Amino acid sequence: MSQLATFIAEKRQNKPILSMTHVVYGYPSVEESLNWMEKLMEEGVDFIEVQFPFSDPVADGPSIVAACHKALEQKLDVETCLSQLGKIAKNFPDSRIVLMSYLNPMYRFGLDKLAKRAAEENILGLILPDLPIEQAATYQSACKANNIDPVWLVTPVTPPDRLAMLANQASGFLYCVARSGVTGHSSHEGKAKQTSLDDYLAQIKQHASAPMGVGFGIRERAQIEQLTGKADIAIIGSALLDAYNQGGQEAGIKLIKDLFH
Amino acid sequence: MQSENGFYGQYGGSYIPEILYSSQQQILHAFEEAKNDPEFLAELNKQWQQFSGRPTPLTFCANLTEHFGGAQIYLKREDLNHSGAHKMNNVIGQGLLVKRMGKKRVIAETGAGQHGIATALVAARLGLECTIYMGAKDIERQYPNVFWMKQLGATVVPVTTGAQTLRDALDEALRDWSSSHEESHYLIGTSCGCAPFPEMVAFFQSVIGNEVREQSVAQFGQFPDRLYACVGGGSNACGLFLPFLDDKEVEMVGVEAGGKGLELGEHSIRLSHNLGQPGIAQGFATMFLQDNAGQLQETHSIAAGLDYVGVSPIIAHLAETGRINMTYAMDDEVIAACTLLLKKEGIIPALESSHALAGAFKDAPNLPKDSKIVINLSGRGDKDIFNVAKAVEDETFPQFLTDYLASYPTTQNKGDKA
Repeated sequence: MSQLATFIAEKRQNKPILSMTHVVYGYPSVEESLNWMEKLMEEGVDFIEVQFPFSDPVADGPSIVAACHKALEQKLDVETCLSQLGKIAKNFPDSRIVLMSYLNPMYRFGLDKLAKRAAEENILGLILPDLPIEQAATYQSACKANNIDPVWLVTPVTPPDRLAMLANQASGFLYCVARSGVTGHSSHEGKAKQTSLDDYLAQIKQHASAPMGVGFGIRERAQIEQLTGKADIAIIGSALLDAYNQGGQEAGIKLIKDLFH
Repeated sequence: MQSENGFYGQYGGSYIPEILYSSQQQILHAFEEAKNDPEFLAELNKQWQQFSGRPTPLTFCANLTEHFGGAQIYLKREDLNHSGAHKMNNVIGQGLLVKRMGKKRVIAETGAGQHGIATALVAARLGLECTIYMGAKDIERQYPNVFWMKQLGATVVPVTTGAQTLRDALDEALRDWSSSHEESHYLIGTSCGCAPFPEMVAFFQSVIGNEVREQSVAQFGQFPDRLYACVGGGSNACGLFLPFLDDKEVEMVGVEAGGKGLELGEHSIRLSHNLGQPGIAQGFATMFLQDNAGQLQETHSIAAGLDYVGVSPIIAHLAETGRINMTYAMDDEVIAACTLLLKKEGIIPALESSHALAGAFKDAPNLPKDSKIVINLSGRGDKDIFNVAKAVEDETFPQFLTDYLASYPTTQNKGDKA
């Protein structure tokens, strides 16, 4: 069985819903981002989703875009990032790290090498939102060979047969995008029709044997309460970054406490 | 050019966030149906003719031919389209497709503003809501175009992330589309982006080459020996070249922007001299200007329409297989070519198109006197008035601007009059 799915199943025995908090590697500096990850781990978050920045993050909203661009003012290196994350993973055995980035920087690094190095550093899941499953055969087999999981995304507008296919292929966990649009608050919000989140999650559950994580636009405790019992992981991205930008680590930790404790 | 599942060799494909999958599929199917529907094609031809003034002429340049003493030089006059550029061919096609899909709103990215204006024109004519994303820096450089987009009823959104140019505008248009895909169509301006956009834009632009096939035979009894087009995103090059793809005797030359020099950040040369590298971004695989870590880099060209970081996957593939020869022209060569065309032929070329001129002018003296070359004059240069005035260091222009500003009715003046 998938290492990631096993970890989630074990953790879920004691917790109704797990937390995944997002951190942009290198924002505002490499040092500070690593320190922030450690603080979150100390706070007991179950997962950290580390985003390795890309110059053109098309699935992200303004908060994360700005953080990625700020981070890229310095030279960032995938290999260094992986080994630094490996150290954190070792120091905090009760939590897990998953790595998110866009295809191009990972493609340059080499997807085979990425899967191998991630596994060596105990990074058990990889998220590449601009790599469609149809183009992912070699990436999937590289992940499989190294016993880590490629995390696939489904959305409220994913057609039923495709949703079934993605849910079926999911291992580790399935990333359920909660609404149309990009991450976080953005000027593009509110144009699309909303399906009922409960119906959407129920529909996914019919097909998915893997655990389910839900992200995009989650920033209130009520939203997490609504997810409890219907999903395994609540993913907090831009909301945490916004809090961090406003009041530093202290404000970020307060948000996590408000949301999960 | 027919793709294989959206791919041209190793380039192309569809690398988009999952949220856009359904909308991408919808466009794929709508386009497949439309391009085989005689009624759609008849309407397209009618709009090309009645709204944009097609067919555009093939103009023989006797003075230039004599000046260089080599090949006989012809221009394909895309500058005579409505809106002054080939961009119109594509927006008319996609506009009709939007109506066919029943969508109410279009989103577009624009660099220089030509595609933005063309989109705003078609949106006005077809009664579509229109939002244009444009880098804040490009808005500063190309304000006259912004003015017209707004007058046409479009919403122009300044993009302030990253380098604040075309690449960032494209990212932001994709983000808008991610949230508005159900009622909005992303009307991309060049033969880039996820499948089927490269193929679709190339299809609509191929009217250029198809006309040249007929015109060349009618005017000089053969196909041209060589074709020249500038390559930014690659849509005007696709349009001229693709209809001649199987005519092996027709040579093709693509001219990229050499800008100020060959250092990263100074140019937009993606397809020659090992300056670009294969990558996957903004929805598709192609040659991108990027660093070793896979981060896309800044570009430069005196022509805002050529400074894109990627390039059409179709052109990338044809360059790689050697069907198209790629070269580049530097900013100063471009201004010289522009000036020469003005003086010799009484035609004002866009700075983008002047790259194609510069590329062709280098070769023309060395080609046989009976050879025929066709240069795609993709757009007219009126829009470049401020930039050309600056580049040729026109002495009277600053005084004109000062005087004009002094005579401009300010809010204060208006208040006084009221």
